[in-house]
Amino acid sequence: MKILFRQLSALAGLSVLELYRRKDLIVVLVFSLVILLPLAFFTPFGVSGASRYMNELALLLVWLFSAVIGLGVSSRLFPPEFESRTLYPLLAKPVGRGPLLVGKYLGALAASVSALAVFYVAYGLLVGIRQGVWFPAIFFQAFVLHTGFMVVVTALGLLGSLVLTPAANLTMCGLLVAGMLLFGQRLPALIAAQPAPGKWVLAAIHWVGPHLEFFDLRQRVIHDWPRVSWGVCVAVSAYALCYAAACLTLAGCVFRRKKI
Amino acid sequence: MDVVRLEDVSKSFGAVRAVNGLSLTVRQGEILGFLGTNGAGKTTTIKMLLGFFRPDAGRVSVVGQDPGEPAARRTIGYMPETAYYYPYLNVRELLAFYGGLCGMAKPDIRKRSEELIARVGLSEAGGRLLRHYSKGMMQRAGIAQALLHDPDLLILDEPFTGLDPLARIQFRDLIIDLRRQGKTIFFSSHELSEAELICDRVAIMKQGSLVWCGAVREVAGDGQQNLERIFLKMLGGEVAP
Repeated sequence: MKILFRQLSALAGLSVLELYRRKDLIVVLVFSLVILLPLAFFTPFGVSGASRYMNELALLLVWLFSAVIGLGVSSRLFPPEFESRTLYPLLAKPVGRGPLLVGKYLGALAASVSALAVFYVAYGLLVGIRQGVWFPAIFFQAFVLHTGFMVVVTALGLLGSLVLTPAANLTMCGLLVAGMLLFGQRLPALIAAQPAPGKWVLAAIHWVGPHLEFFDLRQRVIHDWPRVSWGVCVAVSAYALCYAAACLTLAGCVFRRKKI
Repeated sequence: MDVVRLEDVSKSFGAVRAVNGLSLTVRQGEILGFLGTNGAGKTTTIKMLLGFFRPDAGRVSVVGQDPGEPAARRTIGYMPETAYYYPYLNVRELLAFYGGLCGMAKPDIRKRSEELIARVGLSEAGGRLLRHYSKGMMQRAGIAQALLHDPDLLILDEPFTGLDPLARIQFRDLIIDLRRQGKTIFFSSHELSEAELICDRVAIMKQGSLVWCGAVREVAGDGQQNLERIFLKMLGGEVAP
């Protein structure tokens, strides 16, 4: 167990160190902070009560940047290892392919969630400065569920990184994430309205696709609605963990069969 | 005791038979040179010894274990032909990473890393990122990572590639020193002169089959033959009188 922990922490640490050294994460963080923080002091068209819209815009950017970081990091987990053949000395070490996969996933997740935490702190400061409300409870719930979103998105990116090139993976996963965030909630209604073949396709997406809309508490945060019960949070987090576990299991099967 | 045992091993990739009925053993404390031209099946054999894939037929064992099992790879140190390492790490970080993968504790990794970095002559470049290393320095980093967890068997793929003459001599001495410590060394090479100098035995591969295997001493002792002549003869090349 101790050995497994050392292996996982070495792999996760390498992913985080790579992101830090390659400066990608820092560029996205600086870029997002440069966009987010000025929103705290910006009053559009001189309308003083426009805070809600500013918050909505800021949260949308947080979601957008977090998805870009999560997918960007995870979609590059394996292709460079195959291209530069760093996988050879790696697999020659006494580490199984399962721990290798999980370690890399944990590294990508740690990097993505730490970036997300920075975004939320920046958003919290923005809201505090504009409205004088500092980090309300719903804000923490939104962060917890957003972390669940990252758990799913990075697992999807990792699965794709074993079968697609980084660009194709980013495009496919990006479309899936955007599609599910925009239409996930409306899928049952769409299924009911469709004739037979289209209905089956939508039903398949409904049952197999990740229901990322479960993690989206933006409206509650923006409009200061009451927070959801912690039971719901736990259930949604469990859904995220199960979905990520399914993706990792599938990725494990692909990785075992992959020609090296 | 046989550290490496290949019994009637075959491996094909589609219609291409990369390794054909290879049987070979390497005894403990022995240096075996694995020679052959490009496409002879050397790399495929090494990949099977490392458990990257299984043979279609036959059996591969390393220290009596299936190399596909991570536990068996605890006894193997592997240095690839080209230095496939992370360019954004320095050699200390690289060794810390591989040490973690081997399940070593941090203080042990630190101690062993410093020892190996000094041994391969990278002390002054220890803090530099690997992307700034020359090919020879990368090879040194490669041997350091292969020795990190003190393996019984070292598999070296073309270890002399890219080394300058001085580094070659140092590397040769290092390999001989490792044999003195009881390590078993299996190395593939095109460098017949190096193989002749340090190997106890050599195995020559041609189109996936083993065509010759014998002790270097026997060859060197005969005034009429040397390894180069045997190599050419086995591969069907011209032998000058």
